[in-house]
Amino acid sequence: MGYLLDPANWEWVFAGRNFMFLVERFLNNIILALITMALSLILGLVIALLRISKNKVTSVVTGIWIDVWRNLPVLLILLYFGLALPQEAKEFWVDIAPGFLPPQIRSSGQVIASIVALTIYNSAVIAEIFRAGIQSLERGQGEAAAALGLPYWKAMRIVILPQGLRRMVPATVSQLITLTKDTSLVSILAIQELVAAGSIVNNTSGSPFGGVGVPAPILQVYVVVGGMFVVFNLALSLLSRRLEVRERKRAGDVETVTGLEDQITIKPV
Amino acid sequence: MDRVIPIIINNLDEYASGLLVTLRLVGISFGVAMVVGTLVASLRITPARPLNWIGAFYVETFRNVPLLVLAIIFSAGLSRAGLPLGKMSAASAALGLYTASYIAESIRSGVSAVSKGQIEASLSLGFTYGQTMRQVILPQAFRTVIPPIGNLIIAMIKNSAIVAGSLIALDDILKVARVVNSRTFATNEAFFWAGIGYLLLTIPATIIVRRLEKRFAIRR
Repeated sequence: MGYLLDPANWEWVFAGRNFMFLVERFLNNIILALITMALSLILGLVIALLRISKNKVTSVVTGIWIDVWRNLPVLLILLYFGLALPQEAKEFWVDIAPGFLPPQIRSSGQVIASIVALTIYNSAVIAEIFRAGIQSLERGQGEAAAALGLPYWKAMRIVILPQGLRRMVPATVSQLITLTKDTSLVSILAIQELVAAGSIVNNTSGSPFGGVGVPAPILQVYVVVGGMFVVFNLALSLLSRRLEVRERKRAGDVETVTGLEDQITIKPV
Repeated sequence: MDRVIPIIINNLDEYASGLLVTLRLVGISFGVAMVVGTLVASLRITPARPLNWIGAFYVETFRNVPLLVLAIIFSAGLSRAGLPLGKMSAASAALGLYTASYIAESIRSGVSAVSKGQIEASLSLGFTYGQTMRQVILPQAFRTVIPPIGNLIIAMIKNSAIVAGSLIALDDILKVARVVNSRTFATNEAFFWAGIGYLLLTIPATIIVRRLEKRFAIRR
């Protein structure tokens, strides 16, 4: 405990630009998480619609697709695409990456591998969230729409989805927490983000950023790194809880979809 | 994918021992997670504010931090602080303490799912707080807690790859895939078999959990 709290081991935080450097690199994690989430929502909706379709073949095939990806470690998927994605795809990313992204994200070809890997994994989870949101609706909703003569897709679009989507908002926000934590793994593909930045600060004793000669012990560096994740994710989980409460107030006592660590459950009334 | 069969035949021993390392890591971590998780859950539900706060602090810290960061703290971090842990201890401490935060939350929500009237009824019958917990609340909470804990074991199997692949460098099944890949350059095949190894553990676990969910569902 003495070592952990010794002020000499914390000087690096205020030396030079160390702290700002870590914050800037954390932005890369957040950007990666947001890109992946946007893509996963689109892909996840498509997969979920195929999964609940009346066609047995489509539904079984997408069911297997979801279960396989969801049951693999995300690190395995990440490493696989990092190694297996062709060089052309990686160069393509460096060519087309939009200019507003931070340079570390634009210049690394591995970023496209990590986006592909995280999206494949997350879209399977998101598809399950969509499906749970749709299934949590009372059966009567779909039947009533059919009885009113609405065709399947129209009933989906104007009756089922608008209600189902509302119910899955809290679960999607909690999934964003898991996803933000998972972005720390891309450091293994040598992408510059917060965990990798922590090791830079530690290895150089903070010196390139003005804190010359100030030791930056690995324990303290990663306590700070972890703290940044906690602050960000705590804000997200407060948001998620508030959205859930609001949804319950709006719709009365309804079943809500909750997600924790990639596991989706329908919370009964 | 034309070397699928040769890759597994030539490296079967390594894959098998990798799978065993993964299983051992998950087993030990699960023990840690259950013990610490139950402890934290009881901190959160005892009628004493300061203890509630300590429990809440634990849960919110450990479940919002990436497991990779915990792995670094428990290996390199602690050993620099003069507290070197063995590889397996560091890995299972990181994975176990991380999962404990989720276990604690599952137990807590299981307990709070038992209606408050039951606590009041048993207290008014003259049971002490401890007796109420042991004889009335926990047996019922147990049923609601089993399925989420099953789900957490699945998550642990997948998360074991993260702690093993961090600085701790355990020779788990994912590591075997990386070694086989760098020796044979058969990336697709090497990772395919590691994937099969994980699915062999996670898919049956998923099926069992789904069954338990149906069986333990409390109809109200």
